[in-house]
Amino acid sequence: MRITAEAKIANRQRILSVAAHLFQEQGWDSATTRDIATAASIANGTLFNYFPSKESIAAALIEDAVACSWEDFSRRRTGRESLAEDLFSYVWSGFKGLRQYRKFLAPAVEAIFSPLAQPSRAEAGASIRIRHLETVERILLDHGISRPLPAFVLQLYWTLHLGVLAYWAADESPHQEDTLALLDRSLNLFAGTFANDNIGVTHHERRSE
Amino acid sequence: MNADLNELMAALPHDTAEPLAEFSREQLERIFADLARRPVPTASLHRLWTLGELSVQVALASVALWIRRGFASAETHQRQTLETNLRLGLKIFHRLAYLRGALMKLGQTAGSFPQLIPAQIADTLDRLHFEAPPMHYSLIREVLAGELGADPDDVFQTFEHQAFAAASIGQVHRATLKSGQPVAVKIQYPGIARTIDADFRNLSALLQPLRLGKDWESLQSQFEEIRRMLQQEVDYEREIDSLRRARAVFQGEEGIVVPEVHAAFSTRRVLTMDYIPGLHLPEFLATRPPQELRNRFGAKLLFVWYRMHAARMNYADPQSGNYRFMDDGRLGLIDFGCVQYFTDEEFELLRLAYRSGEGDPAVVRELLRRGCGATDRDLSNEDYMGLIGESIRWMAEPVRHVGPFDYGDEQYLKRGVEWFARLVAKRYVRSHPMFMYFHRSAFGVKALLYRLGAQVDIRDVPVEPWWTSGGSQPS
Repeated sequence: MRITAEAKIANRQRILSVAAHLFQEQGWDSATTRDIATAASIANGTLFNYFPSKESIAAALIEDAVACSWEDFSRRRTGRESLAEDLFSYVWSGFKGLRQYRKFLAPAVEAIFSPLAQPSRAEAGASIRIRHLETVERILLDHGISRPLPAFVLQLYWTLHLGVLAYWAADESPHQEDTLALLDRSLNLFAGTFANDNIGVTHHERRSE
Repeated sequence: MNADLNELMAALPHDTAEPLAEFSREQLERIFADLARRPVPTASLHRLWTLGELSVQVALASVALWIRRGFASAETHQRQTLETNLRLGLKIFHRLAYLRGALMKLGQTAGSFPQLIPAQIADTLDRLHFEAPPMHYSLIREVLAGELGADPDDVFQTFEHQAFAAASIGQVHRATLKSGQPVAVKIQYPGIARTIDADFRNLSALLQPLRLGKDWESLQSQFEEIRRMLQQEVDYEREIDSLRRARAVFQGEEGIVVPEVHAAFSTRRVLTMDYIPGLHLPEFLATRPPQELRNRFGAKLLFVWYRMHAARMNYADPQSGNYRFMDDGRLGLIDFGCVQYFTDEEFELLRLAYRSGEGDPAVVRELLRRGCGATDRDLSNEDYMGLIGESIRWMAEPVRHVGPFDYGDEQYLKRGVEWFARLVAKRYVRSHPMFMYFHRSAFGVKALLYRLGAQVDIRDVPVEPWWTSGGSQPS
């Protein structure tokens, strides 16, 4: 039986919604793809037509949750922000999108993004990483940092970002104020690597040149 | 000392005679640019290291000046001293603004003692109250969203993205409530309150070598008092309470303004209060105010000091950033983060301290026994009693003086600093912890009056003499 595109979308959404619920309730390690398929009232094999692994389900949840972060960031941006502030605003927009998944985010992020993750698992998070880093490069470009960046620069950024994300997921301080400070520190550190050329130039100043 | 040569070179005074103001601005701009990139250090070890580095730099710069003195002509001597002092001030400013936590209070206190340290350093430290670099708005927005439950743009009619003042643990933004009321919103750096404990663990470790000294217990209790006061200072709910009490104390006093708190927009980490327009002391002095106006503000500063004591409170951080000199002649009190409340026992000691200025030796002895733990041996120690007597006479001098007392007299302040330094050198500093903040505020107010150049007859300050035996019991 052929199913319609609408039905496919509905199935995908149902799987994601059920998975998010199970990850939160049972915990990341305990919830299996079989549990998810059962709760979504679909066959186990059908689930794999949509998602090849548990990690890919989590990656899809994360990707959907952060999809609005660029729009959110752009809407708030005035053009007078420093590089560190722009990055802060963009990253925090993403965190806010992920807030609903904070409970299971740390193990999921570890499974998907760990440098030691199996290739099939790492594959699940590849598009999130690429999209995020493309956005960061775009922000850097807005601040006049246009030369090809050495690979380690973006790797440094991504490592900081994952570290802060993992910290945030387990942050018990009021309103996650410790993560706010940590993110601020980390991004100042990262922006400081460009200190000798463009760090003091705001997006606004750059555009008006 | 294994000093880095570049550090030494950087600390040396410049050879070219640049105008001082230009020099200062250029340096400050560079420092602000640097600060904007620096994170707030929250790891205690990092803070300790930073402090250690500062002391090395200050020492190096002083040594460099001393070496150069041997070769410099008399004309260039003064310039070099000025420049070195300025550079030291900027370095201290840089470090303290960077630390931003409990240690910054040290800098602010030093800023109120212009004779303890060179004037250039005092001026630079004074900028800490207003010019420390702000958190960027995106961070402010998230802190406010966490504390108030909504973006500042939704909570307030207007909210200025740039801070107009910086405090040791926060910064202040101008805003307007939906009602149109102009307000000042004080916002704390995220997580900074908890670093105060880490600061104190470090300082405790530094103080350990003193533990065998005879004053260790007193030192420890004073240290605990500082920790207690700083912990209060980071809790804005306590400050709200102090603001409300102070408003009650000065209700009906037309010359004194205490801002009203807007509780709906305040939490432990965010404090929203009426915006009080006016000038800071340096700005006020820059208008070259006439002597008569200086005197009137001086009398108000003293009135606040006495009136709050009568209410069993002490405005314990009287640095210039906490006052506004208003166009209409009123004095605004804008920061109640550091308010000391006297217990019954402490209030009795305060009464004794006031009365000791009247010159009765029996009162002085009672004060020393009860307030400083003095033994019979101490009371028969001529050196100790002589120095204590000198300090009491100094404190009471403006009160005993007939006619307007000139607080702008540099010699007066210098004498105060001298006896204080001698007390410290001879380690006659054992006292009830309450006197630490009392003395800090006493010196602070006198330092403010000195900078103001005020001449005030204490008898013109309308305060009920509650401390005398016949005085009425205060509220």
